[in-house]
Amino acid sequence: MSDLNNKTQGITIGLTPCPSCGKLSVHSDIHCNRCGKALVMRDYSSLQKSWALLITAAILLFPANLYPITMLVNRGQIRHDTIFTGIVHLVESDMFPIAIILFTASILVPLLKIVGLTAYLLAISFRLPISKQKLMVGFHIIEWIGRWSMLDLFVISITAALVNMGQLLDAKPAPAATAFALVILLTQLAAKVLDTRLLWDRLESKDDAN
Amino acid sequence: MEQECADNSVVLCRSCDLVISKRALPSGVRALCPRCHTTLYDTPYCSINGMLALCLTALLFLLPANVLPVLELHFLGSVRTTTIIEGAMAVSNQGYWIVGIAVLVSAVIAPALLILSVLFQILIIKYRLNSPFFRDILKRLLSYQGLLAQLSMLEIFMISILVSVFQLSDFADIFLGMGTFCFAMLFLVTLFLQREYNLEHMWGVLDE
Repeated sequence: MSDLNNKTQGITIGLTPCPSCGKLSVHSDIHCNRCGKALVMRDYSSLQKSWALLITAAILLFPANLYPITMLVNRGQIRHDTIFTGIVHLVESDMFPIAIILFTASILVPLLKIVGLTAYLLAISFRLPISKQKLMVGFHIIEWIGRWSMLDLFVISITAALVNMGQLLDAKPAPAATAFALVILLTQLAAKVLDTRLLWDRLESKDDAN
Repeated sequence: MEQECADNSVVLCRSCDLVISKRALPSGVRALCPRCHTTLYDTPYCSINGMLALCLTALLFLLPANVLPVLELHFLGSVRTTTIIEGAMAVSNQGYWIVGIAVLVSAVIAPALLILSVLFQILIIKYRLNSPFFRDILKRLLSYQGLLAQLSMLEIFMISILVSVFQLSDFADIFLGMGTFCFAMLFLVTLFLQREYNLEHMWGVLDE
């Protein structure tokens, strides 16, 4: 045990944690002896899966932001709102705190999530000398805050169910809602499938001051 | 070396695979990976009876929170109410079924399954049901626990209700009912339940 310095990885001393229950096993084991799941040292295909999901999400981000996400009928007048115009409308009607919440959840978070994950995957794929620690901090933030994008969809579902008085006042979802839901789903999946240990393996050889 | 380490003296960081020798922690303290700051482990503090109480309370609020309306809207003399499920249906009926399913899963199905799953786990552990059948059920429940916890978004729905109240109060009068109260309580109880719950500790029960 004396040779454990602060760089030793599990792969070099022949141990791997179970992906499901976390129990340590030696490399020669095929299945975890506690929960029976198959053991993998490193999931190299997870990089491809993550890229595929991320690129799809990045493409869907355009319809999600360019098409209207809600349709509002107010005394016979129809108004279509994209995510952005909806927030602008909130600012104009002096609901500043709500506008900030929705701006963060619906525009800032999805965008930062895609930019952050792209940086992360680029760093693994092309061995870019970006600080691993900063990337990892970003990754933890992405994992934690990503779910909050669902806020907008929940608000739309509540509004659509409550406001349905025909020509007088009527709120309905519009095409961007589906695209937006898929962006959230795909980015969350892209972060979830990725084996983050790959980052620490690949840059280890260059020793770029972490 | 391999055999020596396969006991409980070291842990591997699940994000960066660093080998860390395990140390005892004072209660209420989490161990973070020194290299990438991922949470490694914390002190097992799950009182089975405490969790059982939280679980039963959550079950008590589960049905009214989903059946009673969470918001009520009065507009020119007409009253509209909605439950979470009606909200999901309203979006689905417009053709946006993906959104409808997302709402239904994250605000109704996943939280309900989460509470039931924890309840069964606790009952199996509390009454020491050691037959292979129950051990197998416990294994299955534990392996889906992480997914359910990620899918259930009660806290986000809670904030969504508040955002909707502020947005709609521009057009009409909004009232909060018994359903809102039950949903808020469900959210709080589930929050405490998840704080108390420790997946690693639950897996540890299978080793004994």
